[in-house]
Amino acid sequence: MSGKDMISVFPSRMALTLMRGRLRGAQKGHSLLKKKSDALTIKFRGILKKIIETKTMMGDVMREAAFTMAEAKFAMGDFNNLVLQNTDKAQLKVKTKRDNVAGVNLPVFEAFHDGSDAYEYTGLARGGQQIDRIKKNFAKAVTLLIDLASLQSSFVILDEVIKVTNRRVNAIEHVIIPRIERTLSYIISELDEREREEFFRMKKLQGKKALARAAAERNRNTSEEQYGPAASLLDRERDEDLLFD
Amino acid sequence: MNSLNFNIDNGYLEGLVRGFKGGILKQTDYLNLIQCETLEDLKLHLQSTDYGNFLANEASPLQVSVIDDKLKEKLVIEFQHMRNQSVTPLATFLDYITYSYMIDNIVLLITGTLHQRAISELIPKCHPLGSFEQMEALHIASTPAELYNAVLVDTPLASYFIDCISEQDLDELNIEIIRNALYKAYLEDFYKFCQTLGDSTGAYMSDALAFEADRRAFIITINSFGTELPKDDRAKLYPRCGKLFPDGLAALARADDYEQVRAVAEYYSEYRVLFEESSNNPGEKTLEDKFFEYEVMLMKKAFLDQFHFGIFYAYVKLKEQESRNIIWIAECVAQRHRAKIDSYIPIF
Repeated sequence: MSGKDMISVFPSRMALTLMRGRLRGAQKGHSLLKKKSDALTIKFRGILKKIIETKTMMGDVMREAAFTMAEAKFAMGDFNNLVLQNTDKAQLKVKTKRDNVAGVNLPVFEAFHDGSDAYEYTGLARGGQQIDRIKKNFAKAVTLLIDLASLQSSFVILDEVIKVTNRRVNAIEHVIIPRIERTLSYIISELDEREREEFFRMKKLQGKKALARAAAERNRNTSEEQYGPAASLLDRERDEDLLFD
Repeated sequence: MNSLNFNIDNGYLEGLVRGFKGGILKQTDYLNLIQCETLEDLKLHLQSTDYGNFLANEASPLQVSVIDDKLKEKLVIEFQHMRNQSVTPLATFLDYITYSYMIDNIVLLITGTLHQRAISELIPKCHPLGSFEQMEALHIASTPAELYNAVLVDTPLASYFIDCISEQDLDELNIEIIRNALYKAYLEDFYKFCQTLGDSTGAYMSDALAFEADRRAFIITINSFGTELPKDDRAKLYPRCGKLFPDGLAALARADDYEQVRAVAEYYSEYRVLFEESSNNPGEKTLEDKFFEYEVMLMKKAFLDQFHFGIFYAYVKLKEQESRNIIWIAECVAQRHRAKIDSYIPIF
């Protein structure tokens, strides 16, 4: 057993049962983790598809918004500075929520409006309609950006988690389970050998006992031949040793 | 002032302006420009016009904002030369032209100061034609009321503030309302001034300023649908020097939607045509586009007559329109969005 990795344990029936229990546990853990990894991978691929879609839409929306900006500049002159100076609080804010997917916490960003439109009267005398359109287009662009942000952060987190889970699955499959199996087979082989040894010992003992009995028999038989049959007190009428009869 | 004595004081400048007018881009120039694929091509084409090498010293990847700044700079240089050579009454007339830029600058500065931006950041963003000496002093004020008492009373625009806005209004009213109220006072003042000049100037400028007033009235009405602007506040923003005063303005003040505005325009032949030919569908000219076209046509008429100041006003307006056209074409080229590239307003 040298060179192969194995849990060092004293081979006994108790250890065998314990090892069997551990093997079962490892196998259950392996199948559960595999299921988790599969669920995460499916979600991952879904997110990837959505990211690609959102990014292409983003390109179009940004282009549209930039063009509306040019139109508004044509109708109204340079309003950029005025708008920049007038900014105070953000009107579009982002809330984070946590979404749970197969045990992984993914952040989800949600946009919400805070406060009324501070630029209601911009362009009142010129270009009001273009300003309106610009507001709508850029608002669309910002909401898309927020969606893209949640998608991308979930993408990165999922990627990490999937890597970790797969590593664990592989570790169980290629390291833990073979180790336990090797230990199990070692224990089993040790136990078998011990049984064989025991059996052999029994056999040997029996052989020895048989020999000992045979030797004892022979000893009894040899003494009878030498000394005749053993005298018995009970089978004579007269005893010579008695003086008075 | 009459034709006999006009050239003594103003002959040089009239000749100069007519020369500048000859340099305004023609339709062929615009056709060349819309064929450009990159901004470098645009620069090349502009070199063969009156603009010459105005973009020659700019850094290599040319940007639309740079072109915009340079165009403005050129107009400012020309205008300031004319202003420096002029005497009253032409000098006052040219000052009146700058007041509209001054109003924009003041609005920008007030907004910035209210939000605690440093004055040194705001000054470069102001339009150069509208600068006035007290601009640097604005940082001492932190509320609009202080601003008014300390600074604005000394500017030529002080009277406009008095006419329409009181001190507490400055604090409460939305900045755009202030801007439009100021502009209304400015237009009416300019109109009165032109009437005192009499003759061709008075005649021409009355037409021009009446159109401007009516256009603002229409657009303010249309843009205020859907906002929370109450009708009487809206009525206070209509300049009274146009053809719509008083009946048209009263009707506009009562209007609730686009159709009613159109009905008001029906009474005035020039405006009826504009409303008929415009619509809000994409692909057709919008109402604002039609107003721009009408303005260009009015401005061109100025050059048909001699010995009046209208040509200076017309020149500034036409140059502005030209800048807008060039920037529009430049943006379409830069963003490669050629669908609406010929939505510029051709001038000559």
